[in-house]
Amino acid sequence: MFFHIVLERNMQLHPRHFGRDLREKLVSKLMKDVEGTCSGRHGFVVAITGIENVGKGLIRDGTGFVTFPVKYQCVVFRPFKGEILEAVVTMVNKMGFFAEAGPVQIFVSNHLIPDDMEFQSGDMPNYTTSDGSVKIQKESEVRLKIIGTRVDATEIFCIGTIKDDFLGVISDPGAAS
Amino acid sequence: MSVEPFNRLVKLAARAFYDDITTKGENQPKTGRSDNRGIAVVVLDALTRRQWVREEDLAKDLKLHSKQLRRTLRFFEEEKLVTRDHRRETAKGAKIYSAAIAATADGQQNGREGEEKIKLHTHSYCCLDYAQIYDVVRYRLHRMKKKLKDELENKNTVQEYICPNCGKRYTALDALRLVSPEDEYFHCESCNGELVAESDKLAAQEMGDGDDNARRRRREKLKDMLQKMEEQLKPLMDQLSRVKDLPSPEFGNLHAWELRANAAVRAANGDSSANDSSKSSQGLGFGGTPMPFVGETKVEVAFSGIEEKGEDIKSENANSPMKVLPPWMIKQGMNLTKEQRGEVKQESKMEGTSAADEYVKAYYAALLQRQREQEEAAKREQELLNTNISNGLNGTFERQVGLKSKRDENDEDENVEWEEAPPAGNTGENYKVDLNVQADASGDDDEDDIDWEEG
Ligand SMILES: [Zn+2]
Repeated sequence: MFFHIVLERNMQLHPRHFGRDLREKLVSKLMKDVEGTCSGRHGFVVAITGIENVGKGLIRDGTGFVTFPVKYQCVVFRPFKGEILEAVVTMVNKMGFFAEAGPVQIFVSNHLIPDDMEFQSGDMPNYTTSDGSVKIQKESEVRLKIIGTRVDATEIFCIGTIKDDFLGVISDPGAAS
Repeated sequence: MSVEPFNRLVKLAARAFYDDITTKGENQPKTGRSDNRGIAVVVLDALTRRQWVREEDLAKDLKLHSKQLRRTLRFFEEEKLVTRDHRRETAKGAKIYSAAIAATADGQQNGREGEEKIKLHTHSYCCLDYAQIYDVVRYRLHRMKKKLKDELENKNTVQEYICPNCGKRYTALDALRLVSPEDEYFHCESCNGELVAESDKLAAQEMGDGDDNARRRRREKLKDMLQKMEEQLKPLMDQLSRVKDLPSPEFGNLHAWELRANAAVRAANGDSSANDSSKSSQGLGFGGTPMPFVGETKVEVAFSGIEEKGEDIKSENANSPMKVLPPWMIKQGMNLTKEQRGEVKQESKMEGTSAADEYVKAYYAALLQRQREQEEAAKREQELLNTNISNGLNGTFERQVGLKSKRDENDEDENVEWEEAPPAGNTGENYKVDLNVQADASGDDDEDDIDWEEG
């Protein structure tokens, strides 16, 4: 799920950036530092949308660096248990398959793949129904439901299922070509 | 007999799901006295014997504190079993309702007339929403079953893996660390052994430790629960399937219901004096006297019929832009859509006026007999409560459909016009014409009235 929230961060800035465009430097450094990171609490920071305010700088003893508390608005993405996501399959093996929904990695184990889909090894390992009408392989797009998340300080990993109504392949790269 | 199966459904559902519901104010102490379990069932049962009812009156009937009742009703509103309506009204405005309730012959509701305050009071009304109850109960059962089955089949559970060499356990959440570039299996982090999925029964038995016993016990328990659920809720499920193809009773919204009920009583009594109160209330609403809260007058078309055919919807749509037309024009238009041209109108007029009287007599006799049969049947059923009070409207209506479907259509048309016409500001002329037609055509409704009085 996406959220638009306000976060705060203490930014350390080298004295050489002090000047007319100090603020711009601060913002560009913030973007570089924060966008694409993941915190267990808020999820993945997708993009910074605005700066709320920049507090008074504090000179650090000994180094000359200055710390600015910056409040910024950003879009974050955090997966939740029970959430339905659409994801792209990245790897298929006998144990199940891995998929990505943006920055989030999801594993779907083989017991959460419908029983009528069988694993086929080969160049392009895949799960296929007996009549061959549905196939999950690398680059397939699937809709899945998250049934568990592991949230570490800097990482979120999910496990999902496609064994439920309206879940499964939503576009088959083989069929499109 | 179309309300009765639904009422039975409500009663079964009430006992199955709401038996031990307590509704308490947050700040009330938990004492034995405030334990009001079972009230929910009582309220639902009471509602099966009524249609729209003012909540104060219901509280009085049930000897409940109105606050307590309101809490229960609010709960049921959230549970989607009950529709509620709130409106600010004068004592006079409340009379429309009183007249309507008199029309359904629930005799105790007359005590309101003494109050002649000009002050506006907010009154709340409630009514069972049978169509929705059917859906809600079905959904609830579906969810219950699904939850148990999912757990039984290990759906939605995190897969566990065991290393057969060193016995180390992993879960699917570790999957990212366990994949190996060489083959298609997961590998142990410490000994690089090939991991085995734990739900594979062999592995589970091999590792038969205490943890696993617990899991097996839990499975047994789940199975047991599922079986018990099937057993104990069987009457409810049977009732659901019985009700499945029946049209669910619709009372419409409060306003439409009042109009219909009052129209019925007027039709029943013709011009006799017994009917003064409803007449005056009608006059207040529609005779040109300005209503103080026009906002409440919803121009919603409610059909007394229980079936919702596409036809009805069409006629509603066709009507709305033509409001200013005299009602008989509208009727012609509607007949045109479903039957041939102008002759139909003539025909229906004839039937509406002449056939109705005879029909009413014959129907009345038949109904009395049927009602006796019903009473006996009800006794046999050994219900807690005498439930055939509210069988009337829809039951008889369905009958009528069977007997003479043609006239039924007309009847509905009349209803439509009659409700549509007043907001359009038609003159008394049209109004009168309408009124006659209505009176004739709704002879069946007047039977309902009698039905209730005796029941
Ligand atoms: Zn190992």
